[in-house]
Amino acid sequence: MKIKENPTRLDIAGTWRGIRMMLPLAVFTIAFGLAFGVAAVHQGLAGWEAMLMSLFVFAAPSQFAALEMWHSPLPLLALAAVTLAIHTRHMLMSAALYPWLKALPQRQQFAMVILLTDSNWAMALGEYQRGERNLGILLGGGIALWGAWVAGTAIGLAFGGGITEPERFGLDVIMLCFLLMIVVGGNPRAAMALPWLAAAASALMAYWWLPPYLHVMVGAITGGVVAVLLPGRWLRESAS
Amino acid sequence: MSSSPVWQSLIAIMLMVVIAYGSRVLGLLIMSRVPLSPRVRRFVDAMSSSVLIAVITPIIVHGDGGVRLAAIAAGTVAVVLRSPLVSIAMGMLCAAGWRWWVG
Repeated sequence: MKIKENPTRLDIAGTWRGIRMMLPLAVFTIAFGLAFGVAAVHQGLAGWEAMLMSLFVFAAPSQFAALEMWHSPLPLLALAAVTLAIHTRHMLMSAALYPWLKALPQRQQFAMVILLTDSNWAMALGEYQRGERNLGILLGGGIALWGAWVAGTAIGLAFGGGITEPERFGLDVIMLCFLLMIVVGGNPRAAMALPWLAAAASALMAYWWLPPYLHVMVGAITGGVVAVLLPGRWLRESAS
Repeated sequence: MSSSPVWQSLIAIMLMVVIAYGSRVLGLLIMSRVPLSPRVRRFVDAMSSSVLIAVITPIIVHGDGGVRLAAIAAGTVAVVLRSPLVSIAMGMLCAAGWRWWVG
């Protein structure tokens, strides 16, 4: 608890500090981008498609999930639904930043969340709780991650095509491992076991018996509903 | 690999961009009017991880031994070591190893 709050600020110095703080993690993001680029090539995406995604969507989980659905004709509705379900988390994340951002004019608030993603959100929120009020931390962190993600994608696209038998090198499991890592590595909470189990079971049944791609929505909604039905104290400390 | 028409890809990517950015902005818009209730927060939180579970479950169930081994290895490393890159690397290694030795 700080006694007197500093006012919210946003300047170049703070942005530089954010970029520098994020650099170690950005190195890893290059590798993730590379993994995405390679996976995209083997999923049959054109280079420009993968590049546009990394440039403007800038969200690894939904980009990897989109690869899984990238068959012609593209299932636009399912793709939108899955993206929406994945990104509801970003809604919560920007909501958590609102107390910090609300001092800015609305247009600047909206600009600040363009590069909002998991890592720079977590870093900025941690700094905010330690009394930091310079939003450059959030922006700088986002710039570093975005640059790394785009650069990594470009490298992956450039070299991914040279490999003829992706299965032999385990390249086909990159997407699976990445999504798995996001789920269980991010914040393993014992209380989520039941919702996740319900999501997995319902998704599998929907996969077998319902039209294509519906299983993703079925699993998502089942997981959410089960979490709401559980006793509140089980999930007291959820991501906020 | 069949590639989809350019306009279709463009629409798909545009959809993703709009939704990805829209959800970031929506959080701010909602908070500026009414704070999210804990119940809604919990639903959304669980849903956004469950959607990924739903994507990967059929891949694991219908995958070959290499895929399953990769999933076990990557999941274990992610929980125990909490290292994302090691997790993916172990997964790839296991899949490659399985296909090399077992076929």
